[in-house]
Amino acid sequence: MSSKNDAKGKAANTRTVRFNIKRCDGPGQPSRWERFDVPVQSSSAGSGSANVISCLQWIAANPVTIEGRKTTPVSFDCGCLEEVCGACTMVINGQVRQSCSCLMDSCAPNDGDEVTLEPMSKFPVNRDLFVDRSRLFNDLERIRGWVPIDGTYDLGAGPRETPEQQQQRYKLSECMSCGCCLEACPQYTLEPDEKEWDHAFVGAAVISQTRYFNMHATGKELAKQRLDVMSGPGGVSDCGNAQNCVKVCPKEIPLTESIGSVGRQTTIHKIREFFMGR
Amino acid sequence: MGTPQCITHEHQVLIIGAGGAGLRAAIEAASTGINVGVVCKSLLGKAHTVMAEGGMAASMGNVDDRDNWRVHFADTMRGGQYLNNWRMAEIHARQAGDRVRELEAWGAIFDRTRDGKILQRNFGGHKYPRLAHVGDRTGLEMIRTLQDHGIHQGIEFYMEFTVLEILMDGDRVAGAVGYDREKGRFHIWKAPAIVLATGGIGRAFKITSNSWEYTGDGHALAYRAGAELKDMEFVQFHPTGMVWPPSVRGILVTEGVRGEGGVLRNSQGRRFMFDDIPDLYKNQTASDPEEGWRYVIGDKDAQRPPELLTRDHVARCIVREIREGRGSPHGGVYLDIAWIKEKMRNSEAHIRKKLPSMYHQFKQLAGVDITKDAMEVGPTTHYAMGGVNVDGQTQMSTVKGLFACGEVAAGLHGANRLGGNSLSDLVVFGKLAGEHAVEWAKSHPNPTIDSSQVQSICRAALEPLERSGGESPYEVQARLQDMMQDKVGIVRKESEMAEAIEGIASLRRKAASASVPGNIEYNPGWHTAVDLHNLLVVSEAVARCALDRKESRGAHFRDDYPAKDEAHASHNTIVYRGADGAMVVERREIPAMPKELSDIIKEMG
Repeated sequence: MSSKNDAKGKAANTRTVRFNIKRCDGPGQPSRWERFDVPVQSSSAGSGSANVISCLQWIAANPVTIEGRKTTPVSFDCGCLEEVCGACTMVINGQVRQSCSCLMDSCAPNDGDEVTLEPMSKFPVNRDLFVDRSRLFNDLERIRGWVPIDGTYDLGAGPRETPEQQQQRYKLSECMSCGCCLEACPQYTLEPDEKEWDHAFVGAAVISQTRYFNMHATGKELAKQRLDVMSGPGGVSDCGNAQNCVKVCPKEIPLTESIGSVGRQTTIHKIREFFMGR
Repeated sequence: MGTPQCITHEHQVLIIGAGGAGLRAAIEAASTGINVGVVCKSLLGKAHTVMAEGGMAASMGNVDDRDNWRVHFADTMRGGQYLNNWRMAEIHARQAGDRVRELEAWGAIFDRTRDGKILQRNFGGHKYPRLAHVGDRTGLEMIRTLQDHGIHQGIEFYMEFTVLEILMDGDRVAGAVGYDREKGRFHIWKAPAIVLATGGIGRAFKITSNSWEYTGDGHALAYRAGAELKDMEFVQFHPTGMVWPPSVRGILVTEGVRGEGGVLRNSQGRRFMFDDIPDLYKNQTASDPEEGWRYVIGDKDAQRPPELLTRDHVARCIVREIREGRGSPHGGVYLDIAWIKEKMRNSEAHIRKKLPSMYHQFKQLAGVDITKDAMEVGPTTHYAMGGVNVDGQTQMSTVKGLFACGEVAAGLHGANRLGGNSLSDLVVFGKLAGEHAVEWAKSHPNPTIDSSQVQSICRAALEPLERSGGESPYEVQARLQDMMQDKVGIVRKESEMAEAIEGIASLRRKAASASVPGNIEYNPGWHTAVDLHNLLVVSEAVARCALDRKESRGAHFRDDYPAKDEAHASHNTIVYRGADGAMVVERREIPAMPKELSDIIKEMG
């Protein structure tokens, strides 16, 4: 239908892409590599191109390695499939990103191209490409990532806020806890032992949420407690300023600005504490 | 095989599902200091609610001060063709505003008016601008806010767990039994009150905008526990979803594309919507493409192009083209906005400006540039109006101690749902369900768990792993989805639905002997086998209810009865499990509205 395909002159319009997938049977188990050859249809006008998730779905239906050995379907997590929820985040050809928005035409445009899939390395693996992100929720709780309201008083008509103020907070609220910024960060390390979580570096996503909640009219109430955490072990001072986080954020959240802002807030908080006591 | 081991947990209120409704119910229950557990199939914050875009309807009157709850009530009832539970429609219209303000107080960022109030937008079927929204990602903001707010309330979350069955103590619930998807261990949750908040049934169909979690679990759990389901024939289909690649099949393509001049064409290049314009709309529809274009660019004297006829009609026309062999290569039709380059210079920039998220969606997920190429689209299963029959006030089902809220509950939307009414549904009735579940749990503590019931449930769940040579559950599921799409989908008729009911029975036998290789630890094949039982229950319910309603109303269209029929105007369709285990269908009269509500309907029409 499209001239692109005619030019290629391939009747079947398909190419073969080799997937190298890092597999693991469960927490603490050794990992291994398995390879799959997946037929990928070339895109034609209006029909769209395959992406990594559709290839994983193909593998689930045909779980046979290139050696012809039948194996189990590859496990991966996903939710919305439209880059809104962040569940399908993994490392693709060395880059952390959502697999639902990784098009085969961009990551493996030619016949015989290879695609390497690995789980994120900063979280414990549940199975294959499926990781356990509980620590992220623990850290959001650690910084008190909520607005303290107990429901005992009438909220009334609510506060007025200008569109400009709203826009500023809007950007920060787009975080979907996907984990890309943590994977890319050299200071954020795998911490399988839950007991260590409250001392380990929280990473950019959580620092940015600290800023976000400290900007909220009622959320400010807990600003001091948040800054106590941020100035303690694993807080903002553990940031090594590599700035990888902001480069990989799929929502283009200004993470380094957030780190700068929370850094300043903690400094002021500490000075104030030094002179005026708690 | 020995006796399966179970890990036991105890809660006063157990919530199944962690989307908007489940989280709101959990927050409400936990705020009373009660011990709450939440079981969910995916990770916290990844539930289907995140995909909602448009907004949540609440008559706050920030943009048009003529709006109030009475207008919202009348709009909702009209949209539902008066089959709604009027008490739920009233409560929803009265309380939605409070729930929006509450979300804002908890940290949600709504778009603002110039003078700093929450901005509200227009939406189909709502008389005034009513949808509070956060860009086009209102659902994500709702989930994020509820998750952040719930995270510190001492709620116990069980993520990546599947519930197999509700446990009973005589005629009331005693808890639930399920397993964790990671290890495959069995768990018992002992709880006097259970809230179902599991969402919809979209995965019963081949093409759906719903996420993989939407396998009708709550519907089926309730049904097997003895509860009634209501209005299952009403399934909303959206005319335009993506069809290719497979991973995006079903994802919504907004009506805005057609609003900006997008046209539908079949494989022969024909604008087929001009071929079937209902008489009722003849004088409101453009007579030729030229007039349609003038309407798009704002000519007040021109009539709208036929692509903008009602959603259900457009969906049916697309189905006809596909069925008659004029579809696109992947089973859709073409939606073309790029053609407007014939009409304007810099059309590419114009499309990107007017439809930024659609441009992004096709570019990002399918590699299609909609400013240059046509999109391939087809109707997609979007929402189930029907569900667990609940009491309008308390949200309790017909089983004692079993509550339901959100999409899994029936009543608010009647025969069709207005856009924007589902997000507000989640928080209004999530709160009420949480509140009343606490009340019930406090007055009915300490149910008794019957361990023989638990053992037989666990053994039955393990059977597919112990068999070999049976059908693959994936295979059975795919056939069910194909059949529902073809025979109980957008256009229905008696003979096809009867075939579907027989087909479901035969697939049920296949499912009962399905086999799965591998073990219990994170085994997607096994999970599919478990979900399949639920899909079969909801599919049968949809087919039987649809067969019984011999008319076309709201989202339900019958080729053999294409008009509304007074005889069906005032009853709901109820199904429940009969004494012999077979599904019983029953018509039930809708109770008369109290005068203060019927007066509103009279006044607003």
